[in-house]
Amino acid sequence: MLENFSFRTIAEYLPLFGQGLVTTVWLSALSFIGALVVGIVLCAANLQRAWMFRAPAKAYIDAVRATPLLAQLYFLYFGLPRLGFVLPELVVGILALSLNSGAYVAEIIRAGILSIPRGQVEASVASGMTYAQRMRLVILPQAFKVTIPPLLGQAIVLVKDSALLSLISVAELTRAGQLLASDRFMPAEGFITIAAFYLLLYYGLKGLAVLSSRWLGTAGARI
Amino acid sequence: MTKTGMIDFRGVNKWFGALNVLKDITLSVEPREVVVVCGPSGSGKSTLIRCINGLETIKDGDLVVDGQRLGDPATNMTRLRTEIGFVFQSFNLYPHKTALENVTLAPIHVRKIPRAEADKAGRELLAKVGLADKVNAYPAQLSGGQQQRVAIARCLGMRPKIMLFDEPTSALDPEMISEVLDVMVAVAEEGMTMMVVTHEMGFARKVAQRVVFMDAGAIVEAGTPEEFFSDPKTDRSRAFLSKILRH
Repeated sequence: MLENFSFRTIAEYLPLFGQGLVTTVWLSALSFIGALVVGIVLCAANLQRAWMFRAPAKAYIDAVRATPLLAQLYFLYFGLPRLGFVLPELVVGILALSLNSGAYVAEIIRAGILSIPRGQVEASVASGMTYAQRMRLVILPQAFKVTIPPLLGQAIVLVKDSALLSLISVAELTRAGQLLASDRFMPAEGFITIAAFYLLLYYGLKGLAVLSSRWLGTAGARI
Repeated sequence: MTKTGMIDFRGVNKWFGALNVLKDITLSVEPREVVVVCGPSGSGKSTLIRCINGLETIKDGDLVVDGQRLGDPATNMTRLRTEIGFVFQSFNLYPHKTALENVTLAPIHVRKIPRAEADKAGRELLAKVGLADKVNAYPAQLSGGQQQRVAIARCLGMRPKIMLFDEPTSALDPEMISEVLDVMVAVAEEGMTMMVVTHEMGFARKVAQRVVFMDAGAIVEAGTPEEFFSDPKTDRSRAFLSKILRH
């Protein structure tokens, strides 16, 4: 098999892979920012005592976690135009990834907040802090440190999930591999190359996770 | 209006489900008075003092603290809590803040004291509890006794009218107990109104005006430390004292 493997064709398509890689990186970054916004809002609603905030947040999180991302993507891609929203594929893709990943981010943040010992809440309550002061000064700074590693894990998942956007013809990394595979009928060259690029992205994010945990590790002397 | 104490329980009841954890509590603590609460575990001592700053709510009866009735819509609980320091058994210092920041956090954000002024007061308080050299240490770098002293300084930073202590030395190694008790004695001698849940009978003898003995959610006996230790009135308190004083 390897004697037929054409590195020359891969080299020929390298500019296309490069563009795809760049697109994957920035659309993932935008989607992750979107996911953080969605996640924070969902988590805030989910932590309220009033059910009218909590119930919709829980229902949303369940719906996202129970259905395949591909179904969600098609739901938006084919559903939004019917409601009169005709958006570019790229925008639909970023929206889908943000809305999907946001549900997971909400649960990660919630777990981080709930991991803060009850005594921290009691100490801040006893000192006369309001709910907002307690969150801002005591709970969130501690929860933040706990959530960074799992959030980076979620970012890695998001980068891989972005491959699905190739199915709505967003010109990202996987799409570049598909083009090579179908133009030259060279699926091995196409998909092994994108796998290598995903691996590269993975190690980049993992390096970030290691750096952050090292930073948290030194800060860990504080915990 | 009848004369009220700093802390006034009148016929207070509380339930956890079917369990009556506070039974018809009536107790008045005068300003500058130090009251020690003791009794077997599960007797409701902690619950009693946690009601005072609203960490627990009461079911019926009246609880008036610093002239304000708890549960009354006119009572601003957040505001009232700034007048009440609470020292926990497990310290509950903020792990992401230094000792000084632990002391100044609430004064700066709740009392709105300028940072420079709060820092100065915070350093003085830490010096007062013997931790002038630990100003910039994080809680994890401090021993249990040091952490509890920071926790006391943190309460004092708010210049409270009342200090509540919930078994402040129970989580400490024996050799650290006295350093915390010394600080508490100093606070008491400055005229702070205090309620202290503790089994440190030496502390009770030294500074308490009254000892309250609780059992099964009720106040069984209350009296001066002298009376209570030398001449306990009930079988229950005699049995309790014989157990804790035997060793």
